[in-house]
Amino acid sequence: MIEIKDFTFRYRESSEPVVKDINLTIPDGAFVGITGAAGSGKSTLTYAMNGIIPHCYPGDFYGSVTINGLDTVDSSLTDISRLVGSVCQDIDSQMVTSVVEDEMLYGLENFGIPHSEIDARVTQALSDMGILDLRDRTIDSLSGGQKQKLAIASIMALQPKVLMLDEPTAELDPASSFNVFKLLQTYAQTHGTTVVVVEQKIALLSEFATMMVIVDKGQIRYADSPEKVLAHSDDLLEIGVNCPRATTFTNRLRSRGIYQGPICRNVNQAVAALAEVIA
Amino acid sequence: MSAFLEYVPGTSLAHKLNPIAKLFFSFVFAIACFCTSNIFFLLGMLAFAFCIALSCGMRKQTIGLMKAVFAFSLLLAVIQVLTTPSGTQLIELPWGYIGTGSLLAGATTIVRLTAAAIPLFLTFYVTKINDITNSVVKVLHVPYKYAFTFSSTVHFIPVFMNDMKGIMEAQTARGVEFDKGGIINKIRLMVPLCVPLLVSSVRKTNSAAIAAEVRGFNLRTRESGYKQYPFTGMDIAVMVLAVVLLGVAIALGVLGI
Repeated sequence: MIEIKDFTFRYRESSEPVVKDINLTIPDGAFVGITGAAGSGKSTLTYAMNGIIPHCYPGDFYGSVTINGLDTVDSSLTDISRLVGSVCQDIDSQMVTSVVEDEMLYGLENFGIPHSEIDARVTQALSDMGILDLRDRTIDSLSGGQKQKLAIASIMALQPKVLMLDEPTAELDPASSFNVFKLLQTYAQTHGTTVVVVEQKIALLSEFATMMVIVDKGQIRYADSPEKVLAHSDDLLEIGVNCPRATTFTNRLRSRGIYQGPICRNVNQAVAALAEVIA
Repeated sequence: MSAFLEYVPGTSLAHKLNPIAKLFFSFVFAIACFCTSNIFFLLGMLAFAFCIALSCGMRKQTIGLMKAVFAFSLLLAVIQVLTTPSGTQLIELPWGYIGTGSLLAGATTIVRLTAAAIPLFLTFYVTKINDITNSVVKVLHVPYKYAFTFSSTVHFIPVFMNDMKGIMEAQTARGVEFDKGGIINKIRLMVPLCVPLLVSSVRKTNSAAIAAEVRGFNLRTRESGYKQYPFTGMDIAVMVLAVVLLGVAIALGVLGI
């Protein structure tokens, strides 16, 4: 379980805190989607959860962040990393080797995974991400999307308790993005892994997340099930979060008393809702 | 085409050799080039190095390298020609003369530097940087932190070159003409671009350090490496060949031939 209590953080070079008074509890096995406008503090929040704050970015840290009881301030980044696997926003910088297979091996070797397991884990993770055929390729020859898949695969191979991904589909096309989320969902369900994803594609998040967190100006505006969060589509629009049009459309029907059914997250649900209204 | 110093996959003998054997051969080969001034031996070494490059399909990269080393060594050779009067006088200078010996010394410098550089650079093109790191840690017991620092430096060269290319393309799109006015103008236009490159480089290296740390960098030991690097008969043969070349070079140097 991830517990954030009264967390406030100010980067050393900033005059104001980037995130303020954050209280959030993420149960084991949850699939959490964090979204918000640019500069709202989403990435800072994930840095706090994977220990990069305060271990790599110094500043004023108030409150507490614990992962399965491990306090991120008192524990070393290495100890936190045994629990939390992180995929960073800047994929190119995350690559520490020059060949796909070596990139997969890097974390497995460091964490002392038995050599007898390593090959199976590499093959499985690459296969899951659909890039097994790229195993011997140089990283420089990969497209942006392939690099993102590799970055995710290299973390999945470590089988961490918590997967933390910062915009993992930024360079992927819609179909690949959907596949990656589907895979993350399957992986989380199979391994009982908690997944925390920072993502701008709210339609995707609402499709897969069991919990959505909306960050606005360094504070949590909403943290609830996708249905409950998406009910505030007009409010979300005001803070720079665009809900799926199907959601906004049916929410407006609801606000006029025309539609009373569940929140719609995609076009199919909106069509069904409209059919219900017309009938 | 691969970026500068970046691994090019292949199945040649040079690709298959043990990374330590390749490093050993490259360094001993380079030392041998500096142990003698026999131009014929050095030309032989240059031809041999070029043949190795051809055997692993690195003709284009090697010619590019030779051009770069030639440009650099030409500077040294010119200084040598102007400051080392020896042999039959060809041109008289206010402070001495240029002789046949001066020209030979200049030519020797160019051939020596070019021959010495080729195997060293080829090693990086035919060896995964991770294999170099892991093998020097496992076999030579070099501390991982130092090996990783070295491999990261090599790894980031093409990354920064790509960044520079991107910055230059962005400037070209805004009307900056890098192609006009010759090399001096190009350098003048490139100097201000070093600031954004430096900022981006610092950011990237910082991100890479964090990425390495969250993947257990501090837990790494000599035994961590998954791959093994056993020596085969061919590895031994290549190292013996390097020692023989060094022996011949030393003999030529001592005998003054």
